[in-house]
Amino acid sequence: MVKKETEFLKKLETKFKVKGRVQKERRIWLSISKDKLIEICKWMKENGYVHLSAISVTDWLKDGKYELTYHLWSYDDKILVTIKTKISRNDPKIDSVTQIWGNNAQIHERELHELFGVNFKGNNDLLPLFLEDWKGPAPFRKDFDWRDFVRKEFYDKKNEREMVYFD
Amino acid sequence: MVKRSEKATTMRKVIKAIWIFNWFNSCGFAELVPLVGSRWDMERFGMIIVGTPRHADVLFIAGYQTHKSIERAKRVYEQMAEPRVVIALGSCTMTGGMYWDSYNTIKKLDDYLPVTMYIPGCPPRPEAVFEACEKIFQHVKELE
Repeated sequence: MVKKETEFLKKLETKFKVKGRVQKERRIWLSISKDKLIEICKWMKENGYVHLSAISVTDWLKDGKYELTYHLWSYDDKILVTIKTKISRNDPKIDSVTQIWGNNAQIHERELHELFGVNFKGNNDLLPLFLEDWKGPAPFRKDFDWRDFVRKEFYDKKNEREMVYFD
Repeated sequence: MVKRSEKATTMRKVIKAIWIFNWFNSCGFAELVPLVGSRWDMERFGMIIVGTPRHADVLFIAGYQTHKSIERAKRVYEQMAEPRVVIALGSCTMTGGMYWDSYNTIKKLDDYLPVTMYIPGCPPRPEAVFEACEKIFQHVKELE
């Protein structure tokens, strides 16, 4: 059932010395270190994985890590390869994949820069996308207490109408 | 014969029917759709939705406004010709509604735009919207 997936994973593992696993039919997970990201992504695109479906960030607060996830799809192989890499949470920096996927990656990275504060080196347009005039911390970080932020920013405890928001 | 002020005379001439420009975020317009549809049919009162704020007398604004969209709403308001009326629908425009603790939405609309009338409700009833528009005519009639 998962023959082509296993073969492709073995190919990846021997070529780049990384670890991965076949999740199920048409799904491969691959954990890599962040230095290998560009190298692997370049190779993947040359080998048919032209569609970058999404980039996402998971905030592992206890470990102090951000986990970046890249979903790559091949129309020939019909496999979705998920590449995962961990970076530091306090100084989130990673090479941009815009040099490989161009504008397709650009908008994803711009969003993640805004919501998580990840710096994508090599992406030349990381302007705010949804949050104009935003002065607070990156809002999707797990340690950002948005309710506390809103109370400080919008409400007055002494105001009779608004004191209910402080209970 | 009643002696009216210049303003009252002009207003009586100008306000015959209400032309509306809609500025809705999220579920805002879904709540107003019955008014446009055949059951409540606002066109029988001459209320019509126009394509540009420059033709509109009334600005309907509903749904939560984000910091990004309120800047655009202000620009829409500035383009409208006088006399202009802003009618805010629903609880989101009054207090933030269920988004009271959202970091990205504004809470009170009248901090940003001069709101003429608030219509409460989540959503407001179509009858309430008609009543608000009726109040505009009433106001003009009462001008001296």
